[in-house]
Amino acid sequence: MFCKPSWRTLLLSTTTVLAVGVISPDARADIPDENYQPVLAHLLGTVMPPKLDDFHAATENLTSEFKDFCSDPDKSGLEGTQAAFHAAMDIWQEIQPWHMGPLVANGRDQHIEYWPDKHGTAARQFRKLMFDKPAAYTDPEKLSGASAALQGFPALEEVLFADDHGDQMVAADEDGVFLCQYGTAIATNLGTLSGELQAEWPEFATAVENAGPDSMDYPTAKFAATDLYRALHEGLLIISSQKLARPLGDGAEDASAGRAESPISERSLRNIEHNLIGLFAIYDGTWGDVGEEGKGLAALIDNSLLDRSFKLNWQTVGDTVAELPPSVAEVLEQPNGYTVLTDLKGQIDFLTTLVENDVGGNTQLGGGFNALDGD
Amino acid sequence: MAYQRRSFLKLMGVGGAFTLLPVGLARAATTPNPEDRAVYISASAGDDGDYYVSAFNASGKILFEQTLPGRGHDIGLRPNHVDVAAVERRPGLYGLILDRHTGDVRAKLHCPEDRRFYGHAIYSNDGRYLYITENDFDHARGVVSVWDAKDGYRRVAEFDSFGTGPHELHLMPDGEHLVIANGGLHTHPDQDGRTPLNISSMEPNLSIIDRSNGKLVHQAALKHDWHKLSIRHLDVSANGTIAAGFQYQGDLTDQVPLVGIWQPGSDIRPLEAPDTVQYRMRQYCGSVRFDASGQVFGISCPRGGLVTFWDAQTNDFLTHIAAPDGCGLAATDRAGEFVGTSGLGNGWRMDAIRRKRVELPDDSLKSQHWDNHLRRIIT
Repeated sequence: MFCKPSWRTLLLSTTTVLAVGVISPDARADIPDENYQPVLAHLLGTVMPPKLDDFHAATENLTSEFKDFCSDPDKSGLEGTQAAFHAAMDIWQEIQPWHMGPLVANGRDQHIEYWPDKHGTAARQFRKLMFDKPAAYTDPEKLSGASAALQGFPALEEVLFADDHGDQMVAADEDGVFLCQYGTAIATNLGTLSGELQAEWPEFATAVENAGPDSMDYPTAKFAATDLYRALHEGLLIISSQKLARPLGDGAEDASAGRAESPISERSLRNIEHNLIGLFAIYDGTWGDVGEEGKGLAALIDNSLLDRSFKLNWQTVGDTVAELPPSVAEVLEQPNGYTVLTDLKGQIDFLTTLVENDVGGNTQLGGGFNALDGD
Repeated sequence: MAYQRRSFLKLMGVGGAFTLLPVGLARAATTPNPEDRAVYISASAGDDGDYYVSAFNASGKILFEQTLPGRGHDIGLRPNHVDVAAVERRPGLYGLILDRHTGDVRAKLHCPEDRRFYGHAIYSNDGRYLYITENDFDHARGVVSVWDAKDGYRRVAEFDSFGTGPHELHLMPDGEHLVIANGGLHTHPDQDGRTPLNISSMEPNLSIIDRSNGKLVHQAALKHDWHKLSIRHLDVSANGTIAAGFQYQGDLTDQVPLVGIWQPGSDIRPLEAPDTVQYRMRQYCGSVRFDASGQVFGISCPRGGLVTFWDAQTNDFLTHIAAPDGCGLAATDRAGEFVGTSGLGNGWRMDAIRRKRVELPDDSLKSQHWDNHLRRIIT
């Protein structure tokens, strides 16, 4: 798995071969504003809503699993609850990079997943919580007003995967009973948050789809579409600069899986795999069995060679991640693990360059004169 | 947030129907009054690496374009005089003194070899002295140079800015003090003059100096956790309140304030917009401007394509208006109203009170990419 041909060779060769004949974006006329509208309608109105339904269903299922497990705790119930956690986290990681509207309103994304947690706030607060065991944290409504670090996936990860918490819950000792009640409250709260997201999305999507000069938020469809382009671009930047660069540190000696996302449930690379699925939907318009190929930002690119090149490159990176173990910790344990992760970061950075040059340039959604200034 | 806006409208006496509004307020953000003889002036760019200082009228009609040798940034206005100062964007080597009516060059300023201009300049109230922020790059030290306009713009003094990477500066209302936004970023011409070389150790601050002797009078910084917030732009209201816009040099995902308000002698008070707006500000503020009343200030966020508006009395966020690639902001003579410009060539009147945006009607404005800052000249 770690001895594949150089990703640079693969990526650069597809790009070089297929880029022949690509028209310079500068040579193109402005894309009419009405061309952006169907992309907005497809991505925000058709593609995302079913995924938010899936996310809500996954969190409801997680709550249900938690309640069943806690009513009669045993090993099998714990495993079922952990599987429900992973299922909900998978779909969340696909949605997470679509960082806009109801996803960020009222700090919702942070309440769902408080991350990155640079100062270890979640772990510190969790330790204190286990010492005090306040009853308020077993009430989903009261929990929703608590610290974001104690009410979403990272807190649930502590409950389900950290230390001997699973055994304590199965044993139903004093800590285990509290963990069960607290974990159920977190899952219920996640169900509430995902339900709010599901409910608020259509109004946001309609506002964006109705972009026009009278809108104080989205005066043109093109401007509205820049939010999708930015989500794609920034999603890749966050994978590289946060999800990979942080655990990689300043060198092999400094590397630490503990700085990765979801280190306790050992799914930091699985998160990236799902991030890439959600991000690719922005470009391609398909997300699993939802949507239609070519109706995302790709619809704005009038160049089939460039489109093929971009998809092949994305596929190469997606395959690379899918073939890796699910956690950074497992990869770092390999003799050449640091190099493998460094290479993966290089691949993500290369995709970022393609997004900036090919997607940003050809969709005319890249940064503007002042936006790129830096002064 | 709706409550904050309602409270603000009440304070401004704008609670009822439009027809009952005072005439001056009711006209806000409508088609420009033909009697509005204000002229707006800004650095700008064409499509081919060509740079200008350009002026346009209230309808957006371009009045003149003066070619610059390189990209400009802000324009300093000499009070009661035809001179305006266009200083090159950092790391700048030239400054041009232009006639505000024609764009004709009246004088040239040359940066010393061991300094670089940083794009902003301000005149003293009597118009005698011009103050320019500069980088003493070999010593990672900010300076404010002093040029005597009555002596052929001779460079007569240089003060410490009391920080690194000074950017925008303004006169305080007393006319005797200068407030300087020291962005904290060290750059060097040998390394392109723009790439930050000290992000991990940067220490931005706001400093007030006595313009007669360069002595530090007040200084304030944000808490150390926020040391990567480069304090770059500011404006000062008539009562001495300083509004500042920040540019974050850290991670995209970090949750940091991007706006601050400072009453000299106290701490800088950080302000945040609601999450959906704060996120769209994209960690970057481009320019800051108080309105004519001093009660509202606008902060443009070109990376997010929006302008945010804030209540200077309560420090509450008021509203935001989308402005694709919008950055330049100038206050009109009406409370809560601004003219904004964009790198895409647009110009708008924006009413922060009623949350309205009206495009300037003359298309000649669209021939230029309007740069970061916009000034209004009363004619």
